[in-house]
Amino acid sequence: MQRKKAYNRKKFFFVAVAVALILTALAARLVYLMVFCSEYYGVKAKDLHQRERSIKAARGEITDRNGTVLATNKTVCTVSVIHSQIKAPDEVTKQLSQILEMDPAEVRKKVEKVSSMEIIKKNIDKATGDEIRQLSLDGVKVDEDFKRYYPYGELASKVIGFTGADNQGIIGLEVKYDDVLQGSDGKILTLTDARGIEIEDAAEERVEAVAGKTLRLSIDLNIQQFIQQEAYRTMEEKGAGYVSILVMNPQNGEILGMSNVPEFDLNDPFTLTAAEGLSDDEKQDALNQMWRNQCINDTYEPGSTFKIITMAAGLSEGVVTPEDRFYCPGYKIVEDRRIRCHQTRGHGAESFVEGAMNSCNPVFIEVGLRLGADRYYKYFKQFGLLEKTGIDLPGEAGTIMHKKENIGEVELATIAFGQSFQITPIQLATTVSSIINGGNRVVPHFAVSARDSQGKVSAFSFVPKEIGISKEVSNTVKGILRQVVAEGTGKNAKVEGFSIGGKTATSQTLPRSANKYIASFLGFAPAEDPRVLVLVIINDPQGIYYGGTIAAPVANRIFENILPYLNIGRESAG
Amino acid sequence: MKQIKDSLPAPDKKTDVWLLAAVLILVAFGLVMIYSTSAYNGALHFDDKTYYLKKQFFATSLGLLVMYIMSSVPCRFWRKYALAAYMAANLLSIAVLFFGTTVNGSKRWLALGPLSFQPSEFAKLAVIVFLAHLISSRENRKNQLRFLISCFVLILPIVVLVGSNNLSTAIIILGIAVVMIFIAYPKSLPFLWVALAGIVMMAVFLSLESYRMERLLIWKNPEMYEKGYQTLQGLFAIGSGGLFGKGLGQSLQKLGFVPEAQNDMVFSIVCEELGLVGALLVLGVFAVMLRQFYVIAKNSRDQYAFLICSGVFAHIAIQIILNVAVVTNSIPNTGITFPFVSYGGTSVVFLLAEMGLVLNISKEGHSLNA
Repeated sequence: MQRKKAYNRKKFFFVAVAVALILTALAARLVYLMVFCSEYYGVKAKDLHQRERSIKAARGEITDRNGTVLATNKTVCTVSVIHSQIKAPDEVTKQLSQILEMDPAEVRKKVEKVSSMEIIKKNIDKATGDEIRQLSLDGVKVDEDFKRYYPYGELASKVIGFTGADNQGIIGLEVKYDDVLQGSDGKILTLTDARGIEIEDAAEERVEAVAGKTLRLSIDLNIQQFIQQEAYRTMEEKGAGYVSILVMNPQNGEILGMSNVPEFDLNDPFTLTAAEGLSDDEKQDALNQMWRNQCINDTYEPGSTFKIITMAAGLSEGVVTPEDRFYCPGYKIVEDRRIRCHQTRGHGAESFVEGAMNSCNPVFIEVGLRLGADRYYKYFKQFGLLEKTGIDLPGEAGTIMHKKENIGEVELATIAFGQSFQITPIQLATTVSSIINGGNRVVPHFAVSARDSQGKVSAFSFVPKEIGISKEVSNTVKGILRQVVAEGTGKNAKVEGFSIGGKTATSQTLPRSANKYIASFLGFAPAEDPRVLVLVIINDPQGIYYGGTIAAPVANRIFENILPYLNIGRESAG
Repeated sequence: MKQIKDSLPAPDKKTDVWLLAAVLILVAFGLVMIYSTSAYNGALHFDDKTYYLKKQFFATSLGLLVMYIMSSVPCRFWRKYALAAYMAANLLSIAVLFFGTTVNGSKRWLALGPLSFQPSEFAKLAVIVFLAHLISSRENRKNQLRFLISCFVLILPIVVLVGSNNLSTAIIILGIAVVMIFIAYPKSLPFLWVALAGIVMMAVFLSLESYRMERLLIWKNPEMYEKGYQTLQGLFAIGSGGLFGKGLGQSLQKLGFVPEAQNDMVFSIVCEELGLVGALLVLGVFAVMLRQFYVIAKNSRDQYAFLICSGVFAHIAIQIILNVAVVTNSIPNTGITFPFVSYGGTSVVFLLAEMGLVLNISKEGHSLNA
């Protein structure tokens, strides 16, 4: 048996020292990694473990002026499958196809597809989503989301507009006030294992979502419903192409109601009534046509309602007084043209007021010619007709007007009674509002205020502009227009016991050869101190097409109902 | 004189408490870490969080029994079985080649009913006992160099057999042998040649297969290679541990990011959960253990016991160094387990057997001629 040798111990000692040195070096390496590289690796590891899940912010609601909700959110669910987590594909296929009423073959295809996540169905209601969730099938995920919901369906569809798949506004107020309505999304940072499965009870970092603001509109639900009903009724009775009705407050520009029928269902905005056989482009055109807000997006020749502007300009400039006498032989010769009055046998001798009551073209041609192109154009501009109204809806159309240097006698004559140029209905209503309210060109608008989730309310402000017209002229115009309704062409709009001003119009659309007309009526009440203005436009009615005959009665029914509703007093009381 | 001293009854010495304490601490710590690192994988693959813990607990219990027996039986008793054990190790390694079961792509296990046995773990113990016996039984050698060479030649079969499917363990066995022969051999110079030969062989070995060179590239820049994933995940775990760690059980990297966290990479999870402080404490316990091996060797009665201690010392030291070096990406990746902590039943049983041997030597006490 061997004894230990001295060199055995020496060499073991040598090995031990070597091991000690190496271990020390490794300890130093650990210090380097865990102290100096800790942040670097720590951040990288955290990136690896954290999954960001966004919390969708609820889109703000839209309410009418009294707080009735016109646009809100509905919780909907999306059902998807995560291939790697499915344990019983047959069971999953069976249950999902049954509950979601889907073709089992289609569901099976998605269940068996090797992908990280496959969406089975979107936009299912919450109850169905909950039902699926309760089955707690492995690999089946039910996510909740918000979907825009419009409780009144078609109501003011072209005004309110709708949102797209990502809850962003597409048309109407939904897009105009997207910033206000859209809150800011929050997020949850959760920890997951290597398969991406969230770790239970792990601390999660949250950034809460901030809900969008509630937008309060100037629209009054009752007025809107009433005018929409009247518009549909008129469209059907007169076989019209479309009917637009606008109710606004001429003092501040708040719009109480705006309907352009046919409206469309805001909860189903992409379905066309007759979509068969259309190409994609044609389909998109048809949709855009369906979504058009004719009060704002379309221009038309206003016709005789524009005589209000000629009247205001003539009176302001002093080229005419209410007592001035005129003679209408049924036409007026301007340069080499013979411009006819709608009354072909002529109105005979009449005062300016009577001319207005008769809506006599030669009288207004005469006033126009007395003003001359320069001065007429000056007022046209001064009244704001060359600019957009600034209404808070997207896509407002501009005025189509002659260049000043191109306005000859004939052009001037036709402009004077509202032809040969085009404006939007909202432009007409705004300009008349500013004349009858004493000279403030108001900005027509829908938005009144926005309220955030804490209840803080901020009002929108729309600053009016002076148009430089005297109180006297304003009062004279109102007086004449009251006469028009009391005894003139607008008498069908008369409501017993109420003081109403207004003007009718019948304009032929282009091309003239098509023989299509627009019948319209613009009225306001009380005539002395207007608080509500109504504009009725009937496009392409069948049969009788005179504004005084078919548009004024619509305004009559509207006044009859909304004046008491708005607490606008009867004459005797006022 | 010498004869008399040798025949004297051994002084009544007590078991080395430092070593015993270090072993028990590491065994207990190992079980805790096995549970911490394997609960996720156990639940995932076997629907049982304690799947790995149970198996390891069984093996550890068996190992502690083996350790007790080994510490009670005089270490010289095994000398007569040294050659037999070595032969058995070779035969078992051959058996693995033919009847081995494959786990994770490696054929390393022999299935014995519900149990599985890894012959390469047994081979380490067998080589230690065999070499200690071989070297200490040859007195007054004429040709030292020839003996040195013959030692290597005798060890070669097991190294080749184990190396054919488990290169890392073969390197450990070779390392143990080199250290033991180095300590036993009077001169140092020939080992310089051994070292040089080793380096040349390594270079040839690496250049033979392109995937081996790739390992070097991955080692230098693990973030650039897909195969650097495991290394990188280990570094993420170590780095995110920081000074004091995330707390026991709080590792995120063990949740599938570090693959099979209870195996070779377990030390990275120790770092993540217990921080630099915890990691250094664990290495400290190993340092105490290694020191005790040295002290017990110094105080041992004869060269056989001395060489057993040095062999065990080499075994633990090599595995700790290589494992920590791999986990910290200080050397290219190779699969080496962390003693007492990494999951593996055969490993813990034979480690504890080695501890029993050394504990027995510690009880034997001082050699009188030291």
